[in-house]
Amino acid sequence: MKKFEFNTANKKKYQELLTHYDDIQSALMPVLHLAQEQHSWLSPEVVAHISELMGIPEIKINEVISFYDMFYDHPTARNVVQVCTNITCSMFGGREIHKGILDHFQLHNMRPSQDGKLYIQKMECLGACEMAPCMRINNIYEGHLTLKTAVQKLEVLP
Amino acid sequence: MSIANKADYQNFTLLSYHHIPSVHHLEIFEEAGGYEMMKKCFTLDPEKIKEEVKNSGLRGRGGAGFPTGVKWGFFSKDRNQRKYLLCNADESEPGTFKDRYLLEINPHILVEGMIISAFALGTQRGYIYIRGEFYEQAMILEKAVKDAYKRGYLGKNILGSGFDFELVVHRGAGAYICGEETGLISSLEGQKGRPKLKPPFPAIKGYRGLPTIVNNVETLAAVPWIMRCGAAAYKKWGTEKSPGTKLFSISGDVNRPGVFELPLGIPLIEVIEKHCEGVREGNKLKAVIPGGSSAPIFTAEIAKEVRMDYEDIAQKGSMLGSGAIIVLDETRSIPDILKWTLEFYHHESCGQCTPCREGTGWMEKIFKRAEQGEGKLSDIELLDKVAFNMRGRTICALSDAAAMPTQGIIKAFRGELESYIKIQMKNR
Repeated sequence: MKKFEFNTANKKKYQELLTHYDDIQSALMPVLHLAQEQHSWLSPEVVAHISELMGIPEIKINEVISFYDMFYDHPTARNVVQVCTNITCSMFGGREIHKGILDHFQLHNMRPSQDGKLYIQKMECLGACEMAPCMRINNIYEGHLTLKTAVQKLEVLP
Repeated sequence: MSIANKADYQNFTLLSYHHIPSVHHLEIFEEAGGYEMMKKCFTLDPEKIKEEVKNSGLRGRGGAGFPTGVKWGFFSKDRNQRKYLLCNADESEPGTFKDRYLLEINPHILVEGMIISAFALGTQRGYIYIRGEFYEQAMILEKAVKDAYKRGYLGKNILGSGFDFELVVHRGAGAYICGEETGLISSLEGQKGRPKLKPPFPAIKGYRGLPTIVNNVETLAAVPWIMRCGAAAYKKWGTEKSPGTKLFSISGDVNRPGVFELPLGIPLIEVIEKHCEGVREGNKLKAVIPGGSSAPIFTAEIAKEVRMDYEDIAQKGSMLGSGAIIVLDETRSIPDILKWTLEFYHHESCGQCTPCREGTGWMEKIFKRAEQGEGKLSDIELLDKVAFNMRGRTICALSDAAAMPTQGIIKAFRGELESYIKIQMKNR
């Protein structure tokens, strides 16, 4: 098991995060975000490290990770893509886009591509219904999509 | 300075700065009139601020519509006690995107609103809980907060007033239930976002067991305007029981979807025809979801009569909710809408209350059985019964939020559901 620890910049950020809260447990979600930014997913090694660092039992951390759609307990990829499939986006083809992308790249929902480039996730309402259908590519919103433009945007990713 | 760079307090309360280019920069916001009210409020008695907000009749804009001044009235007046002000920016009700639009263009209006509110309430620390998906918006907010610190508007002894207020932007990680105020508190505590039994209400026992006020973005952002122009001016907009303006998020089959700030009580049809430039492609209106996915659907007939205020919508069988209007034209299938709604609530149930955990799953299964052509007409009654049994029996309102639109669709579009079940059986 390869040990995880925060890099130098993130060690500093971790210390700063703790000052934002009146107890250590409240800092858990921002710390998980920070770890995921560095490691791309929250592996058992990451959880073990955070548990030791913060004095929070691993089971408590795993509970939190499993509850939220944006914390990943399995490997993702260089590019995480979230496709909205809620009411307005589905009205304008969001579901066909989600399925079409999976078919085009021969992927399964929430499983990384073999080359480690793409990870596609079906999502609930992303809060951008005026640009339906929409998706997020690595935290950036893309709206008014068609299957063709969606595939094009993913093909050019590194 | 040109007039174009001045805030328009005449026509807007919330979007009064939105026309100003780069108003997310503190200096530009300030030049336009921003932070003036914060400075003025430090010279006032905090109780006077609370009084003004109460008199304005401002109601919580997150969905429940509870009067803000009354909520604040439950809060401890002891200024030395550790207390919190939380801003709910978890905006996740399907169809809603108003807070995002408000924040990404003008983050400082929220920061100013929070400082004034914190001063009135005597809270020493505040958090803006923003949904994880709004990463760019969280960065915009963080920059605004950082700039406000630099300027001395946040931190210790703000502008020599003796008042301390720390403000932190806290990102969620993708869970609808964290928009429920006690779910939000659990999440902020570093736990699963599970709602807590009320009472005690957060104002008495909230974050970390301490007194906590949770207000929506739009609610807090309205405070500076109310302090500037006064409660009486605020009440000139809207109706007697639903005063003021509201941000409406409009999506679906209209020519011009988007966010509009309009007085409460405006006829829904005027929103669609005038502000959204009508139903797309000249199609006929079929139905409208008036307040986010949990609001029961209106047929076109009712949609043409209803006014967008808390009372009129409730009287016609639905709710204003977060002001998220989803417009459906004649080409849309109501069973599709029901399916997407049921899938959503099943996915988002936190699982702690049996009626919700099981009920949301059962309803989805019953629908999907019909979709596979294995349903029967009595499934409509079954759905209605399950939905009925989910109402008013759980810790939070998610169970009701799943049941209400289901029953609403059954009531308004039973015929279409019956035909759907029959067609699916035939096509099996």
